[in-house]
Amino acid sequence: MVRLRISSGRTGSHYMAERAASGIGLSRLSNGLFVAPYMLLVFGLLFAPLVLGIWLAFQDYDMLGGWAGGVGLENFENLLDDKIFRGTVRNTIKFVLMTTPAFVALGLFLALALNNSLRRSAILRAIFFGSSVLSVTIVTLIWRLVYLPDRGLLADILSLVSLPSVDLITSQTWALPAIAIVTVWWIIGLPMTLFLAGLQQIPPELYEAAALDNASRWRTLTSITLPSIRRTIIVVAVIEVILQFQLFGQALLITGGGPDNTTRPMVQFIYEAGFRDLQLGFAAAASQVLFALMLIAALAQMWAGRRREG
Amino acid sequence: MATYRRGRGLGDRLLLLAVVALAIVWIAPIVWVIGLSFKPNDVLMRSTGGIHLPPFTLKNYVDIIASSQVFAWMLNSFIVAIGQTVLTLVIASLAGYGFARTNFPGRNVLFVLVLAALAVPEQAIIVPLHTMFAAVDLHNTYAALIAPRLAFPFGVLLMTQYFRAIPAEIEEAALLDRASRLKVFWRIVLPLSIPAQATLGIYTFLHAWNEYFWPLVSATKPAMYTLTVGLASMQTNFAQTEGIGFLMAQAVFAGLPVLILYLFFQRHIVSAVAGGGNK
Amino acid sequence: MAELSLRNVSKRFGAVEVIRDLSLDIPSGEFAVFLGPSGCGKSTLLRMIAGLEAVGSGEIHLGGARIDTMAPGDRGIAMVFQHYALYPHMTVRENMAFGLRNIGTPPAEIERKIADAAEMLEIGELLARKPTQLSGGQRQRVAIGRAIVKQPRAFLFDEPLSNLDAALRSRTRIELARLHQRVSSTMIFVTHDQVEAMTMATRIVVMNQGRIEQVGTPMEIYQRPRTRFVAGFIGAPAMNFLPVTGVTGRGGMAVARLPDGSEVATEVPIGAVKAGATLTLGVRAEHVLPGNGAAAKVDVIERLGERTLVYANLSDGSAVVYDEPGDVQLSVGESVALTIDGAAAHLFGPDGLALHG
Ligand SMILES: Nc1ncnc2c1ncn2[C@@H]1O[C@H](COP(=O)(O)OP(=O)(O)O)[C@@H](O)[C@H]1O
Ligand SMILES: [Mg+2]
Repeated sequence: MVRLRISSGRTGSHYMAERAASGIGLSRLSNGLFVAPYMLLVFGLLFAPLVLGIWLAFQDYDMLGGWAGGVGLENFENLLDDKIFRGTVRNTIKFVLMTTPAFVALGLFLALALNNSLRRSAILRAIFFGSSVLSVTIVTLIWRLVYLPDRGLLADILSLVSLPSVDLITSQTWALPAIAIVTVWWIIGLPMTLFLAGLQQIPPELYEAAALDNASRWRTLTSITLPSIRRTIIVVAVIEVILQFQLFGQALLITGGGPDNTTRPMVQFIYEAGFRDLQLGFAAAASQVLFALMLIAALAQMWAGRRREG
Repeated sequence: MATYRRGRGLGDRLLLLAVVALAIVWIAPIVWVIGLSFKPNDVLMRSTGGIHLPPFTLKNYVDIIASSQVFAWMLNSFIVAIGQTVLTLVIASLAGYGFARTNFPGRNVLFVLVLAALAVPEQAIIVPLHTMFAAVDLHNTYAALIAPRLAFPFGVLLMTQYFRAIPAEIEEAALLDRASRLKVFWRIVLPLSIPAQATLGIYTFLHAWNEYFWPLVSATKPAMYTLTVGLASMQTNFAQTEGIGFLMAQAVFAGLPVLILYLFFQRHIVSAVAGGGNK
Repeated sequence: MAELSLRNVSKRFGAVEVIRDLSLDIPSGEFAVFLGPSGCGKSTLLRMIAGLEAVGSGEIHLGGARIDTMAPGDRGIAMVFQHYALYPHMTVRENMAFGLRNIGTPPAEIERKIADAAEMLEIGELLARKPTQLSGGQRQRVAIGRAIVKQPRAFLFDEPLSNLDAALRSRTRIELARLHQRVSSTMIFVTHDQVEAMTMATRIVVMNQGRIEQVGTPMEIYQRPRTRFVAGFIGAPAMNFLPVTGVTGRGGMAVARLPDGSEVATEVPIGAVKAGATLTLGVRAEHVLPGNGAAAKVDVIERLGERTLVYANLSDGSAVVYDEPGDVQLSVGESVALTIDGAAAHLFGPDGLALHG
């Protein structure tokens, strides 16, 4: 009978020490090589700039004048005094408050309506999700045309029902809601998909039990479906708040921040301070404020969600 | 019972009607824009009505092909998106396997750091990141366009999760079959992770193709623009533009690759989005 | 010479000592079954032999060579896993060829070995299929085939029958025993199922809490359990244990008195009994004989077809199970008289060890 040869040349003591640790679960430094490339990247291109950014926020540093030393909280004080910055905070929060409920409500509605295996539902899901694969540039190209006051699709439709055309983009009242509508149109696919995934997790027996208990459709929705996806609702709300705080491209490309700064978001402020005016310290400080606001908003929501659960 | 049934049927129909109406709202702008891209620019100067009526023209698309700029941007986008996708797959697979299936000193601490990195938004680091790349004079290169995204942890976490779900027994069987650790990874684990690779790859490609902020600040020379940035650079003075049809043709042209990708790989894209959530 | 030899092997996971200073020799060509309750360390021991888990301390030798320091693939061992662990993306043929290719076997030889194994296991038609296209029983055969083609020094099986239905399980037991006769390699089979151990083993290693309780042939283990744990673990129904209230000597042998006052004349030498020790009497159901003797009342009747198990209470309330023929006429509550066959009874000391001559 042929036996596997056990080669004698490889039983030297060094080899033994190394190969003794060949079991799957053993801790070896060389296994760290698997994660080394990524760890280099995340330290070099994520944590390093994060730390550098926090440091920059306390420096007087602009690209043209060079580094002029630490200034303590001066950048943050200047931000507080800056009318435009305060305006961007207001605009951003307004935008978050407009879009997040819309994403949650519409996303949930679509998920509930399309959570079945019908072919037409698959097609409808594909339509609602499809717009989110487009880049912000294409989306804004499309919608600026739709919003054109004289020749836009919106004006055409309004004229069909004999309404006068409106120029949303130059209206201080309507410009931000117009951007919100574009944003909801663009990425409603994300909350819808998350809600669909949540609905799929509900065990079908729950619905069978409810049916045997003669629960009406409304009753089933309010006492089975919604309580079952509570966590998903919180997750979607948190994700949307974080995402919508990052409003940038839509505003920059549709209104440029106007009219009269009523649509300028915080990220655009950071962009302009850092990359147009080249005030790096000032821009970094604004970044930290944005980061902090996002964290606070997300944590507050999670806390509220947990408290109501408990 | 019969009335109850009828009630449910009516509710269903109303619901369907509402959803279909919404779907029309969703799809109308896209159909309209595709229509406009086949209309002569001078006609559109006056009115955009009657897109279903002649005259039609292919001139807008011919103009794109004639404009070397748009092609160069598209090429840039392809290089950046493919580069980022390939590198992400390699790096995230290695790291995911390392975290999921191997042990080394400090593993748990590093993994917590990777999880924490998930909370860092691009905007919080973009200014210092730009300074760092400027310091080594890397802006307006493909390396600068590709590298920063590789540091984001979504892919690593996705692959870690996936590798953890593969039974360890299979790898142990391969070790007993005299496969080296690297061979186990290459011949057993990687082939088994193809569905996850596809999901991550398509998701990364889409993301890279559509990325706006970083290319906007890093690629300042028009020759290095990606398609997204390039198209944005042509959007100024929109209302006065004489080339609405041309602009829309560019939008269609730029959107086509992702829409095709979407049609073919819808399932992967949706599952990546559902799993990725916030990134 | 022992083919497989474990010398003072220990293993701990964190603070838990899973294998405790365990030594064992298994002669070449044996079919050894590690038998013990879930969590007693059987899999851990097997995985240390395979090299999937490092030994904590001690040594493992196979065929005269020390193997615990070698890589798993270098040990000349093949393993059949509980969930088979077939490579899902490879066909049956590729699954079997993978290990042979890794050691540079010429393709023609690989083909021949696969053909031989496929014929022996009757899986010839399955060679082009992927594991997902196979039934549980077929996967099981392929997993065995993948082990056979390597012609290992030792086969390791970790509860490979636990995922099969009852009929397939008993068929596979017979086939494994037949396979062992054909390939005559050492086989080590881990299970918590005493029926598998009794039917297939040439040698059973009974384990409990990381230690070996007893090593022996199936009949040795059944007839002469070394500890109360082994006595209770092997055999169905479980052995009856009755407290002993007093021991006297008669003809050099111990006579045990039971709580109901009856006496059982055992064949345990009285010299083995320490004065004043609390003893337990153990007797299997087939050695409790109905007819005359101590009075008891029938509590539960379990009909198994060819035999009937009767659970009865002695006058002091202690429970005893005994055997009746399949068609016995009995009803619950009826009074019976029982005699314990002393020659087949065991006595266990306070430390759980059996008292022997
Ligand atoms: N990798 C591990 N880490 C920690 N404890 C383990 C590990 N593997 C097994 N154990 C523990 O060791 C004991 C023996 O396990 P195992 O050998 O699998 O038992 P068996 O196969 O006899 O059921 C169990 O208590 C189990 O929980
Ligand atoms: Mg086990």
